[in-house]
Amino acid sequence: MMKRNGTGWLFASPYLLYAVIFFAIPLIWSMYLSFTDWNLISPVYYFKGFDNFIEAVKHPGVQAAFFVTFKFMAAFVPMVIASSLLVALVIHGLPKFKGLFLIGFFLPYLASGVVSSLIVKGLLSHNSAFNVFLRKFGIEVDWLSTPLSALLVVAAIIAWKFTGYYALILTAGFESISKDVYEAAAIDGVTPSQRFWKITLPLLYPALFTVLILSIGVSFGIFTEVYQLTGGGPNYATNTWQMEIFKQAFTNLSAGYASAVAIIASVVTFASILVIRKLLEMWGKRNGWV
Amino acid sequence: MVGSKKGLTFRYLIAFALLIVMVFPYLYMVLNSFADWTQVDNKLVPTEFTMRSYEWLFSGGEAGIARPWLKAFFNSVIVSTASTALMMVTGAMVAFALAKMNFKGRDFINNAVLFQMFFPAIILLIPTFLIIQNAGLYDTYTAMILPKAMSLWAVFMYTNFFRAIPDTFIEAAKLDGASNFQILYKIVLPMSKSITTVVFLFLFMERWTELLWDMIVVRSDGLLTLNVLLSQMFGPYGGYPGPMYAASVLLTVPIIILFLFFSKQFKEGMQFTLK
Repeated sequence: MMKRNGTGWLFASPYLLYAVIFFAIPLIWSMYLSFTDWNLISPVYYFKGFDNFIEAVKHPGVQAAFFVTFKFMAAFVPMVIASSLLVALVIHGLPKFKGLFLIGFFLPYLASGVVSSLIVKGLLSHNSAFNVFLRKFGIEVDWLSTPLSALLVVAAIIAWKFTGYYALILTAGFESISKDVYEAAAIDGVTPSQRFWKITLPLLYPALFTVLILSIGVSFGIFTEVYQLTGGGPNYATNTWQMEIFKQAFTNLSAGYASAVAIIASVVTFASILVIRKLLEMWGKRNGWV
Repeated sequence: MVGSKKGLTFRYLIAFALLIVMVFPYLYMVLNSFADWTQVDNKLVPTEFTMRSYEWLFSGGEAGIARPWLKAFFNSVIVSTASTALMMVTGAMVAFALAKMNFKGRDFINNAVLFQMFFPAIILLIPTFLIIQNAGLYDTYTAMILPKAMSLWAVFMYTNFFRAIPDTFIEAAKLDGASNFQILYKIVLPMSKSITTVVFLFLFMERWTELLWDMIVVRSDGLLTLNVLLSQMFGPYGGYPGPMYAASVLLTVPIIILFLFFSKQFKEGMQFTLK
C-alpha cells in the first residue's frame, strides 16, 4: 500500500471529472428543469412549481409506463429464469463440449436490440412461415398489434438475449455444489423432489439471487426493442419509462416535463428494486437458504 | 449429478436442440440476407439464393440514393473503438487507485462509484444531451464518445480483480524505483489479461449496439453509426426485407468474430467474475 495522497487523487481524477460533468451537473440540472416549462429550443421559459409532476402522474403514458414495467417483469423474469435454468441444468458438468455450448448460448447476448427486433419482425410478418403455419389451424394473430402478445414478444426477445449469460452464472452455481452432498443424500434415501428443494435450490440460491436481481434490473431499462418494434404501442401496451421520456423530450421537445417524468421514473425504479431485493432476501431467509 | 451414460446422451441431445433454437434467429438472418427476394420471410429455410440484397445495400437501392452503409460501418468502428479504449484506460486507472493506493478520500470515492453505478441513469439523459449541445458538440464523434469515456462497471470489475493481486508484487517494483504508471502498465495489467478480455468484450459489444444516445446526439447522414442507420432505414414502415437482413449481418458478424476470436480468454475471465 502506498501513502501519497496526490498520486491517489491523480489516478482517481478521471472518475472525479466524469462524476462532476456527467453525474452531478446533470442531476442538478434535471431537477431544475423539472420545475420549468422549457421546450428544448425557446430562450424563454417559466417556472411551474410542481405542475409537471402533477401533469405527469395524470398522463396515460406515464401511468402505462409504471404498469408496463411490472407487467414486463412478470413476463420476462420467469421466461428468462426458466430458459437459463434449463440450459444450465442440461449443460453443467458435461464432460465434453461444455465450453462450446456456453459460448454458443452466449452468442445472442451479442445481438443488437435493433437486429433482434428486425429478425423477429420478419419472423412474425404476415406471410412468414410461422404465421402461415398457424393459419392452417385457423389461428390468426397480429402479434405486434395485440397488446398482450406485443408485450410478450418484446419480453421473449430480451429473454433470448440474456438466457446464455444467465445460464453461465447458474452453471457456475450448479458446479459449485459438491458431489459429496448428493452422494450423502442418496445414501440417506432422499427422493428426487426432496433433493431439488432441500439440496439443489438452497445451494443454488446465491447464483439464482444474482440472476433474479440482474433480470429485474433489466426490466427497468427497456428501450431499443420497444422503439424498433412497437413505438410503445399498441395503445401504450409496451410503453416503457425510457420510451415515454424519449418521446416527451425528443419528439414533443417538452424538456421540462420530460425531466419530471425522468425523476419519477428514477424514484420508482430505485424504490422498486430496493423493495424487491428486500423481499427476495426475506424469502431466502425464511426458507433458510441464506 | 453426471448420471448414467444413457442420461448423458440424452443431455447432449437436449443441449444441441436448445443450441439450435438459440442460434436459429442468427441462421434465419444470414439465410434471408442471401435469399431470393420472393422467398425472404416467406420460408423458414430459403431454397434459392442471390447476392441481390448485398448489391442493393451497397449500390443504394432502386431509388439511387446511395446510403452510406460503409461509412456508417466505419463510424461504428471509430466510435466503439475510441469509446471502449477510453473506458478501459480510465477504468484501470481509477481501479488501481481504489484497489492498490492508500489515500485520503479513497473510501469516499469507492462509495461514490458504487452509488452512481446503481443510480437510475435515465434521469441524466436530457441534461447530458444539453451539456453536449451547449459545449457545441452536437452532431460530432465527440458527442458519442465523451459521455461514454468511462464505465463504472469497468472500474468495479478491475477493482475487484486488482484487489486479489498480492501487494508484494507492487512493493517490489516500487523498491526498484518504478512509478505508479509503470507498475500499472508493466505489472498489474499484464497479470489481468483474462479480466481485460471480459471487460473489453462487454464494453465493446455494449457500445457497438447502443441506440438511444447515438440517435439523439447525431443528425448528419455521414456520422450515423451502423446501428442507428439500420434502425432508421428499416423502421416500423420500412420495406426491403432482404437488404434489411444484409445490413443486420453487416452489424452482427464483426462482433461475433471478435467474440469467437477471444472466446478462450473470455471463458477464463468469466471464471473470475462468476466467483
